[in-house]
Formats: sequence, structure tokens, C-alpha cells
Amino acid sequence: MTVEALPRVDPKTALFRKDFAANAADLPGAGLGWLDARRGAALEAFALSGMPTRRIEAWKYTDLAVALENDLEPATPFRAEDAAAIADSAVFAGAMQIVLVNGYLHSIGGAGLTDAIDVVDLAQLSVRTPDWVEKHLGARAAGSDQILGAASLALMRGGIAVRVRAGSVDLPPLQISVVNPARGHGVMSHTRVLLVIEDGASLDLIETHAGEGEAKGLANLGMEIVLGENAVLNHTRLQDEAGGTLHVASIGAFLSRDSRYHVLLGNFGGRLSRVDMNVRLAEIGAEAHIRSIAVLDGERHADVTTVMDHASPHTVSRQLFKSVVGGRSRSVSQGRVTVHKGAVRSDSHQMYKALLLGPRAEADAKPELEIYADDVVCGHGTAIGALDDTALFYLRARGIPMEEARAMLVRAFLEEVIDGFAEGDLRDALWRRIDTALASAQGGAA
Amino acid sequence: MLEIRDLHVTVDGKEILKGLNLSIPAGEVHAVMGPNGSGKSTLSYTLAGREGYDITSGSILYKGEELAALTPDARAAKGFFLALQYPVEIPGVSTMVFLKTALNAQRRARGEDEVDAVKVLRLVREKAKALNITEDMLRRPLNVGFSGGEKKRLEILQMALFEPSLAVLDETDSGLDIDALRLVAEGVNAMRSPARAMLVITHYQRLLDYIVPTRVHVLRAGQIVTSGGPELAKELEKKGYETITGAAA
Ligand SMILES: Nc1ncnc2c1ncn2[C@@H]1O[C@H](COP(=O)(O)OP(=O)(O)OP(=O)(O)O)[C@@H](O)[C@H]1O
Ligand SMILES: [Mg+2]
Repeated sequence: MTVEALPRVDPKTALFRKDFAANAADLPGAGLGWLDARRGAALEAFALSGMPTRRIEAWKYTDLAVALENDLEPATPFRAEDAAAIADSAVFAGAMQIVLVNGYLHSIGGAGLTDAIDVVDLAQLSVRTPDWVEKHLGARAAGSDQILGAASLALMRGGIAVRVRAGSVDLPPLQISVVNPARGHGVMSHTRVLLVIEDGASLDLIETHAGEGEAKGLANLGMEIVLGENAVLNHTRLQDEAGGTLHVASIGAFLSRDSRYHVLLGNFGGRLSRVDMNVRLAEIGAEAHIRSIAVLDGERHADVTTVMDHASPHTVSRQLFKSVVGGRSRSVSQGRVTVHKGAVRSDSHQMYKALLLGPRAEADAKPELEIYADDVVCGHGTAIGALDDTALFYLRARGIPMEEARAMLVRAFLEEVIDGFAEGDLRDALWRRIDTALASAQGGAA
Repeated sequence: MLEIRDLHVTVDGKEILKGLNLSIPAGEVHAVMGPNGSGKSTLSYTLAGREGYDITSGSILYKGEELAALTPDARAAKGFFLALQYPVEIPGVSTMVFLKTALNAQRRARGEDEVDAVKVLRLVREKAKALNITEDMLRRPLNVGFSGGEKKRLEILQMALFEPSLAVLDETDSGLDIDALRLVAEGVNAMRSPARAMLVITHYQRLLDYIVPTRVHVLRAGQIVTSGGPELAKELEKKGYETITGAAA
């Protein structure tokens, strides 16, 4: 490792590097040649850029280096006291459930796993690790374009690799619950999740993040998604961390021919959250829809930054982001769509909207488009504003009290994002979470 | 029912109503006519309690109670209804859900039992039929993509559903074709009752052929400048505001 040779290191960057220097030999899979090489490259990518500050274009609105404490300790796995927090996290009846505690695989429960699904504990990597893990782990969400993703691989303590075997369809939904129970002091976890959906397979994934306690800490997740030909992934992500937590998720998705990836990013909790999502429409006919909902009360910062690469012809991407921002919170929506050379007939659209509930709420929206191919259809738009006074008056003039009228309009604003994505239990669960956040955000804004 | 005395209203720092007096007893239908910009909508918004319409002096008594301190929703619950000149489009809220929410909000505020969804549906369907409002319109988001005439008919449907004591119709006739005008007029006439008062704001005599008012008032530059019986509307139509109000001044 050449890290020591690099010049001048700020204390936040040093926090990670010291962790690596002290613990490298004990990290899972240390000594496996393929993993050592990828870890080394990831650490170098992280070290070269350092902890992100606003000087880095992709982090223009989110200064992680300022927000991060510099005395965090590595998070520890399950303890008996964590049971209650884990029990609370199982929100989907009938789902298969995999529980991670502070980034370590804790249990497999719920409806249990079907034979179509393989799970590997990344804390137990060895020479017997299956080929598909070796092939993919660390290939995505670990480079200089996703700096914290790189750190999550370099410092990985645990996590899971999940494979859905080719042709498996009609499976029960899979819930991956990431629970960060209180440790009484600030901790950091570096977790990896690898998800491989083989050719023709289809999965509904519900990824939940919940925390406990008031201590400031970092939950850093790197997630790789690989979709085979004709594979389908419907991915719902509910970020509901405790109030002191910095939640950073670097997600890298690779889409093969005619595969479809639909994701809804829900951000509700945490002190600061950053979802750094790169989607590569690698092969002809691939399609990705990213939806995002943030409902922010109090003083939160939620940043969703996406990079969408149309790398093949006839690829389609849709992005619809809506944030409801109360209190002194801030929402950031950034997205770059690149239509690469030869990706003819690509079709992309981005729409970023934010509703500000009060005078101290803030939102930034920045769509970007780079086109290097002919015959493409690309569009984008943004809209940031307060609730429409005229609509509010109309509802009130019909007898609907102020708070109820506001709630109706805010729900109507978000409806479009959920509509056509979630049905049944999932839809109900989403609305329940949104309503709770809204009640608090509206109260704080009044 | 309604007693407005020396009402002065300012919008964005500009005085629009400048000492308006108007009294509408229960059981009567009054019409207000007046040129563009004379303050008709300002009057209706002020009655509804819209924010930004500041009463600088004067009073509005409704059933003997001063309205100024009441929120728009409280006024609605007490039986005040305004059919807007420009009904508002609200994407994401279905018309039917809106009607049910509004009806029950009013009832709740009055301490009455809420009406269940099935009963609201029946009630709405019955009234919708008379106004030629389709099921499809009721399912769509509120006013979104409705034609001008459809929006106005939906306003009348709401009036029929909420059964207000005092209804103000702000140019409900504008944008209506002949058939729709007749439907709307029938809807309004069906609601005439000794316990109810109505104020019909219009530019056209035509509506008043169908809804024959008890009194007609002419509003100009923020004041009622002349009043008379239904024949005043006919005279206005013939001679225009200039002559009539000029003579009256
Ligand atoms: N926000 C505002 N700031 C300043 N002036 C305003 C504002 N809103 C309305 N006005 C003015 O108030 C006056 C009365 O407007 P109002 O809408 O009440 O007229 P109206 O009689 O309803 O006209 P119309 O027949 O065109 O509907 C107009 O001159 C209008 O320009
Ligand atoms: Mg008007």
C-alpha cells in the first residue's frame, strides 16, 4: 500500500486511513489476492480525492468532511440489547428478510429464503467464496466516481452478497433491513451489499435503514446491482436513520440487455444523507426508472446525486424526484445523464421538484445532460416552490381546515411518484411513513 | 342574511373596495353587475375570507355575526359558499375524494356526523346527473383538464351538495353554452328558498332571464352606485354602464 507516501491528510480522511492501517490484516477476506487488489485500488481512489468537500463538483451541495465527526469508532456487531430495534425493522409481512446489524449479517428470517436465492456473508470471505461473488464484488460503486463507495469496499467489515438464480420469478419480496442500534458513542460502519439478478429473474427488493440513539455516526454503504438479460428489479429504499446519523449510500447498477431497474429512493431520517447512484444502461434495450421522495422535518440534509449512462442503443431512463422540505432542512437533487457515442434512439427524462414548507427550507435541483449520439429524445425540468396559495384557498373555502388542506396538497404532490410504482402493502407502508414525516415537517414549518 | 356596511378593502396596498354597502335579506337573490375591474371578484374573495384581502374599515355581518375574524373554512362550515370565477385545478386530488373531504370537514366543524363514502357517492351522483356531470369527471383530478363549462357546473354541484345559507356566484355564467347556462340556472333556482340568500355576479342580462333577481346592483370603482329591480339589468344591457351610472352619480 502506498498510502503513507501521500502528502498532507486532513483529519477526516485520516480517520479512514488510520482505520485501514490499524485493521487491514483483520478485515474479512484479507489475503485473498483478488480482494486485496480491489481493496487497494479503492483505498487509493479514496485517498487521492480525500473526504469529499464542496470543492469536488459532485459534492457541491454536501460537505461531508465538515459534517463528519473525527472521533468515530468502528461499529460493533449484534448485542442482546439490539433485539428490540431489530424486531421493529420487520415491516413487510410475507417478505423474506435479511437483517444486518451495524453492517454485519445478523440473521435470515421472515418467510425464510427460497432455493432461488443464495446469500453469502461478506464477513466470512474465504478461498471457498463462490465465483459469482469474486466476479462482481467491488467491480462497481468502488471507484473515484463514488468516493465513499470506494471507502466502503476498502474498509468493509461485513455485508452480504445475494444472488437470484436465472429464470426465478414470482418470488416473495425480499427485505434487507439494515439496523444501526445505539452504541452510546459515535460509530462508523462500512458495509457492502452485492445483488446479482441473473438472466430472466425478477425480484422485489425492499431495503430499509433504521437507527437508534442520538450519537453522531456514519453509516456508509456500498451497493452493487448486476442485472442479467431480461432481469427485473423493483427496488424500494427507505432511509430512516436516527437523527445523528450521516447516511451515505453509493449504489452502482449494471443493466444487461432488456433488463429493467425500477427504484424508489425514500429519504426521511438521518442528519445528513447522500445517495450516490450510478446506473449503467450497458446493453441494448435496458431501462431504468429512478424515483425519489424526500420528506424532511427539523434540520436535515438529503442529497440524491445520480449518474445515468446510456451506453447502448434503445436505452430508456426516467427520473422523477420530489422533495417536501420543512423546518431548516435542505434537499439536493443532482443528476447527470450521458448519452454515449453510438447509443442511438436513447430516451431520457429527468424531473426534479421540491415543495418548500417554510421560509427556512431550501432545495437545489441540478439536472445535466451530455449527448454524444444522434436521434435521441432527452428532456429535463425543475420546479421549486411553496404550496400554491390559490389551491390552498380553494380547499379552505370548501370547508377544509388549513392543516388538512396543506396535507392534501402535499400528498397530491407526492402521489405521482408512488403511483405506478407501489401497490398493496408496500404502497400503504410508503404512505404511512410519508404521513408521519409530513405531520412532523408541517408542524415544524407552521 | 348579509349586511355589508361601508366596506373598504385593500389588496397589495391598493384600495379596491371603497365604501361598499349591500344588504341581502334571506329568501332573496341579488345580482351585482359592473365593468371589468370594478371590484366584483374582490368583493367575493373578501366575503370568502381569502388572505391578502384586507378589510381596512367597515363591517360584514352574516346572520348577525361579524365575518372578518373567521377563516375561510369556518365561513364554509357556517353556510357560506363562493362559486369562483376561476375554479382551481388541483392535480393529484380526485374530484370525488375532494367532495367527500369537504362535505365531511364542514359537517365535523358543525358537530354533525360524517357521511360515509357510499352515501356521499349516492348524493353526488344524484346531483351530478341533473348538471350533466359524468362519472368520469368525478374520478378525474379536481378540475384538471375540465373545460371552462365543466368547471362552472362542478361549482354548482358543490353548491347543491353543501346546501349553503348564503351563496355567491362569481360569473358562473361566463364560458357556458346555452344548454349549460340553462342547467346551471335550473340548479340555482332549485336552491332558492326562504332560508337562503344568493348573490349572483354577472356581466350578462341573459343569465338574469333564467335566474330572476330580487334586486340588481351596479358596482363601479369599488362602490355600489345604483340599485333597482330586474329591469335595471335590461336597461344596463341596452345603454351600457357609462350612461346608467353616469346618470345615477
Ligand atoms: N393583487 C393585486 N394588486 C393590485 N391590484 C389588484 C390585485 N388584484 C386585483 N387588483 C385590481 O383590483 C381591481 C378589481 O379587480 P376584480 O378582480 O375585483 O375585478 P372584477 O370586477 O371582478 O373584474 P372582472 O369583471 O374582470 O372579473 C382591478 O383593477 C384589479 O387590477
Ligand atoms: Mg371578477
